[in-house]
Amino acid sequence: MTNTKWRERRAVVRLCCSLMTIALVVAPVGCKRKKVRVGATDEETPKMMSVLNMGDPKVEPQLIKGFHGIEAAAWRWTEKQFTVALRPPFGAGTKGARLTVKLTVPPVVIEKLKNVSLAANAGGTALPPETYTTAGDYVYVREIPASLLTGDSLRVDFELDKAMAPSGADIRELGIIVLNAGLESK
Amino acid sequence: MSPLEGGSRPAVRSGKWERAVYWLVPPLLCLALHWRGFTSWFRADDFAWLGTGLYDRNFHDFLVSIFAPQAQGTIRPLSERAFFMLGFSLFGLEALPFKMVVFATEFANLALVASLGARLTGLRWAGFLAAVFWVLNSSGIEPLGWTCVYNQVLCGFFLLGALHFLLRYVETGERRYYWWQWAAFLAGFGALELNVVYPAIAAAYTLLCARRARYFRGTLPLFAVSLAYAALHSAVAPVWKSGGYAMHFTGSLFGTLGTYWTWTVGPTFLFTPYVPPKWALPAGIAVVSAGLLGFAAWKVHAGGRAALFCLAWYLAVLAPVLPLRDHQTEYYVFLPAIGLCWLGGWAAVAGWRAGAGRRMAAVALPALYALMGVPTLLETAQWNHAITMRVRTLVEGVAGIHERHPEKSILLEGVDTDLFWNGVLDRPFRLFGLEHIYLAPGSERRIAAHPDLGNIADYVLPADVTAQALQHEDLVVYDVRGERLRNITATYAALPHEGGLPRRVDVASPLTGYLLGPEWYASDGDHRWMPRRASLRMGAPETPGQKLYLRGVCPEEQLGAGPLPVAVTVDGVALPAAAIRPGAPTFELEFALPGQVAGKAEMRVTVEVGRTFRPASDPRDLGLVFGSFEVR
Repeated sequence: MTNTKWRERRAVVRLCCSLMTIALVVAPVGCKRKKVRVGATDEETPKMMSVLNMGDPKVEPQLIKGFHGIEAAAWRWTEKQFTVALRPPFGAGTKGARLTVKLTVPPVVIEKLKNVSLAANAGGTALPPETYTTAGDYVYVREIPASLLTGDSLRVDFELDKAMAPSGADIRELGIIVLNAGLESK
Repeated sequence: MSPLEGGSRPAVRSGKWERAVYWLVPPLLCLALHWRGFTSWFRADDFAWLGTGLYDRNFHDFLVSIFAPQAQGTIRPLSERAFFMLGFSLFGLEALPFKMVVFATEFANLALVASLGARLTGLRWAGFLAAVFWVLNSSGIEPLGWTCVYNQVLCGFFLLGALHFLLRYVETGERRYYWWQWAAFLAGFGALELNVVYPAIAAAYTLLCARRARYFRGTLPLFAVSLAYAALHSAVAPVWKSGGYAMHFTGSLFGTLGTYWTWTVGPTFLFTPYVPPKWALPAGIAVVSAGLLGFAAWKVHAGGRAALFCLAWYLAVLAPVLPLRDHQTEYYVFLPAIGLCWLGGWAAVAGWRAGAGRRMAAVALPALYALMGVPTLLETAQWNHAITMRVRTLVEGVAGIHERHPEKSILLEGVDTDLFWNGVLDRPFRLFGLEHIYLAPGSERRIAAHPDLGNIADYVLPADVTAQALQHEDLVVYDVRGERLRNITATYAALPHEGGLPRRVDVASPLTGYLLGPEWYASDGDHRWMPRRASLRMGAPETPGQKLYLRGVCPEEQLGAGPLPVAVTVDGVALPAAAIRPGAPTFELEFALPGQVAGKAEMRVTVEVGRTFRPASDPRDLGLVFGSFEVR
């Protein structure tokens, strides 16, 4: 065997030994590590709100179903049916409250559907519907009796009589645009 | 003409800077373009592989973990099992060491592509450009950005390594290179089944480029090994007769080849983040394809058979996935593309040297190729990085919640489609010992279903169980939608919850204890034992015709005496007798439900097994392990 070959072989053996040593040193260090980093969490529990501004991501837990994502940091499209949970305002258990929904009926909805009616059901009690025949901004307001406002929250189910079906342009079912929904003290 | 065909050897005399450029530019470009992949975290299947061997109790279990066929019958002990087991045991859920291994392997691949390209074409810079073109190919996003696709990168290393040693053998005649080739070839089976194609590559090379019968004869034993591997694989791994992994040896092979060709020359899935005119992408692919194939034809006509070898590499490495008509995946062209990259590098250098007109083509065609692929690469890598960061926030956030509330189960609100399929499905939380992580009731409405991948309902805590657990303060609820997981337990508890007993009861969960009869043993984390007889309450079917499904595990000890009889009654009505037979350890029993329970608020189910057993390590009389009860 030539000197060169011998040197090469020695270098390879040295390299292998070094790698094994590094592995042996690193392995126990690695094994002692925690298997996962512990991520920080936000423990400041948000209070349940009476009025839900749709641009606020913190209200998401109270949007039970039927809402699409926030748009323009201010509003959301709904589906045909959508539901919110609202905290009764102070004193509502005796005086009742006013359900208020600020909404927009966009021109495209009127173009496609001609008109659209919004009905609601608060805690099992049906509320009168309202029909919108022209595009524009509206406020849907209904009185809520005190008897429905004695618990920690009130579930309000909304339903439109029709909505735009998913299409190639938008795969979502689209109803109306809601800016906020809430219970106001009388 | 390549050196082996009598052409000149690539010039190796070069300055220090030139050498540095030659060897460093491809890996640096790779790192720059795939930086998002390098810095991404884990997702989806990664967690399944990270959990390999998690429950191994002895050496036999370890061997099963390493070698038993897994998803779709794959056996990849090096690139998946050992890689993830060793990596996880050393580094836990730190992704960087995994990525360093992936990229180090890819850098070695790039050096091999450059070196082989230079030797195949006789043009040093053709090899360099081949490596650059491979980096620009958009099919590299997943192999480099998604750790579980390391099998592609490692398989490439063994294929290229084996070919490298074959070329060295042919160049020098030294026998040791032949045996090194064998070593690389055999090791390649530990990376990916695709390795079976190496004998075809070696044979093509010896026939087209080396052109000496003894070299070709030397490749024949390689075929024997590939055939033996294929036979063994089909004997131990399931062959798919239907579904995505079923093989179709029909005319669809050509359609699939055409699709993959367009994904190789143009962007994968023909997706571009910009919106070009409809004709632009097909036209671009056609122009680059014409350039490549035209050059190959011209070279072959002039006697340069290495051009045919480049195409042979493409077809040989792609061939095994062509029958998978219904499972077309972007990274399937990652390794085949190397052949076209050699051809492209060769064409670019040859064109550059051939005068002004062709020099323009030598610049324009690679530019067009890059323009089609790189935006897709960057955009998709960005998506991949972003979803892995969301998964990381979720997984590490859950670890944080557990540290804060070690005794409580965790309910996640706001999980969407991407997060579920990438960060929940493969149960990453079990990697650090957490089993009781649930999705909030109603989450299934927010998640697009993929029944072939998994059942979302298995992860959702029923509304009634949620309400009970919140009432007993056994549960904390976190919203996953923000940059940090947010504790919303108080808000969530105040929301109205739907009533009614659940129609799916996860018996292993400590939260469902209120539904179980007193016979059940305590939960063992991810399962719960029953004695000979046990009962529970659950929601009755809404409509007649729905069935009751029992899922669990029947240990081997129970089946030693033959099939295990299982008797089930519902509200006192005996259902048809059933038995669990030896075979797979898990079972699913299906029972038609009596019509009279439909529409009732609840029903009582009792299960009784024909015998129990008592293992040496456990003083209890054990029947079956559950599992879940579900009406659907």
